[in-house]
Amino acid sequence: MRAGATWLAALLVMSGAAFFMGEYYNDVYRKLLLWVTLALGYNFLFGICGQVAFSHFAFYGIGAYSIVIFLFQVHLPFPLAVVAGIALCVVFALAVAIPSTRLEGFYLALATLALGQLFIVVLNEGGAVTGGTGGIANYRLPDIFGVHIRGPWYTGVIVALVLSTYAVLLRLDRSWFGRACRAVRDNPEAAAAMGVNVTRTKVITFTLTSALAGLTGMVYAFVDNTVNPPIFGIDNAFLLLFMVIVGGAGRHAGAVIGAVLLYLLPFWLSPLVGHHHVLVFGVLLVAAILFQPKGLISLWDKLQARVRRA
Amino acid sequence: MQDFLELAVSAAASGCVYGLIALAYLLMIRPTGIINFAVGEWAMLGAFGGYVLLTQREWPYPVGMAAILAGMFVVGWATERVAVRPLVERGAPILAPILALLGMLVVFREAVSVSFPPDPLPVPFPFGIGRLEIAGVGGSYQSFFIIGVTLLVFAGTWLFFERTVAGKAFEAVALHRRAAALMGINLSRVTAFSFAAGAAVAGLGGLLVSPNISAHYLMGVPLAIQGFTALVIGGVGRVEGALLGGLLVAFAEQLTIRYAPIPSGYAQGVPLLFLMIFLLVRPTGLLKAKE
Repeated sequence: MRAGATWLAALLVMSGAAFFMGEYYNDVYRKLLLWVTLALGYNFLFGICGQVAFSHFAFYGIGAYSIVIFLFQVHLPFPLAVVAGIALCVVFALAVAIPSTRLEGFYLALATLALGQLFIVVLNEGGAVTGGTGGIANYRLPDIFGVHIRGPWYTGVIVALVLSTYAVLLRLDRSWFGRACRAVRDNPEAAAAMGVNVTRTKVITFTLTSALAGLTGMVYAFVDNTVNPPIFGIDNAFLLLFMVIVGGAGRHAGAVIGAVLLYLLPFWLSPLVGHHHVLVFGVLLVAAILFQPKGLISLWDKLQARVRRA
Repeated sequence: MQDFLELAVSAAASGCVYGLIALAYLLMIRPTGIINFAVGEWAMLGAFGGYVLLTQREWPYPVGMAAILAGMFVVGWATERVAVRPLVERGAPILAPILALLGMLVVFREAVSVSFPPDPLPVPFPFGIGRLEIAGVGGSYQSFFIIGVTLLVFAGTWLFFERTVAGKAFEAVALHRRAAALMGINLSRVTAFSFAAGAAVAGLGGLLVSPNISAHYLMGVPLAIQGFTALVIGGVGRVEGALLGGLLVAFAEQLTIRYAPIPSGYAQGVPLLFLMIFLLVRPTGLLKAKE
């Protein structure tokens, strides 16, 4: 009951804030929330289950493109379009995960890197279906069950998405499945000896988090009301990985910190270094791995430990 | 038939480039177990080295090539020093250096994108543009040059592993790190050398391919993907495997572009498809490691 009240309060405060922001800050806020959602999902895949994949952003794109194509070109009704989009993500995720997780090593990283590249190629070459290099624009969110959602209210939808993603992942993390994931990450042989099906755990995690990314992409499709290939490039897949590592891999709070920090950093970095903030990110990542391997969140842990001792 | 032979030469040339990238991966994976996705960026650095020294400074080709290889050797050695050795010495999990190298990948790419204009930059052909025909098999000078240099590199690497004490030390570390260390092999020297050699080989691949595709700061990732696919197909155990895998990937790609009725951009999907099939059917690669 109390937990429910906390979630409700968070929903009200976080979406209420959107009504006090102008058009521009609403846009920044929405994209920040989407990055946080992606980072939370990616943290489960990479930080908690230990799988290095570069396809998370491609699935975000698959979700965004599929909802637009299913709604406005195939003319499916809204709920069906959502289901079809998620089904598409699940099929792609299984096709990549089943062969690549059969082996030890980093085959998944490579397969997903190739998938991410291929996705951009398909978008560019897709002709009328994907709109080619220009993408698809000039569409609007249809009324859902007769409800017309616009402006700050749509920000509320995104807040609900972040919180429900967080709730689901937290729940999952604390269940036997989350523990199985951590065991698979830390020591696959020991996990297998304890009766955990390593391959199945990896495949399920990859498919689930990829579907979540797809769902996030569907929500994104109506933020800018345009989808085009450059948005879903491989650079952003790297950025996502950096967010999770810099914040603290394996920690939900770490993913949030990393996403907020690296999303907001360019806003005050770009007056200093132009649009080459990615170079700074690369250096930041190497520095984080060398000097702060548990991420920024571990600084907070140390601070807390000191306060408790005092 | 004529058409096919023409295609075969150019496919063999790009297969050799993939083979070089695969060899670069292999040189580092064998002794350390570290997959370094930055090899694509190293190839890109080699290509930009070609642009700076051969196009801008107009150095003679052999001198420029030697300078680039030496430079890449230093880059690889420095990368190992900065992003790999501190983590290995600390006993961090194997994932840590792999991720640090991903960070280096971004650093290399962005450093180049900051320093050069964003357009594709030309790199000269060592023998100019021309056509050579050997016993009815025709192709460009560059294709034959790439094939020749690659065969030399692979022959040299093979001899190094099979015939020299240093090569045997390499092999010993690949087979069993601790036992090799106990036999008096300097592990960190082998690791440093494997990265330096990997960078030189990858840089050579980039330099060889750059006259055809121009130097561009985004050229790295596709090469990294194709090279790794070649490695998986050939098997990580044997040097020859890298070349065989590279040739197979390139032939599959070129034949698809030439004969399959799909837009040529989709040919980028061929390595992915190949990779998936091989992971399902023959995960150890075509050539097994020697016992």
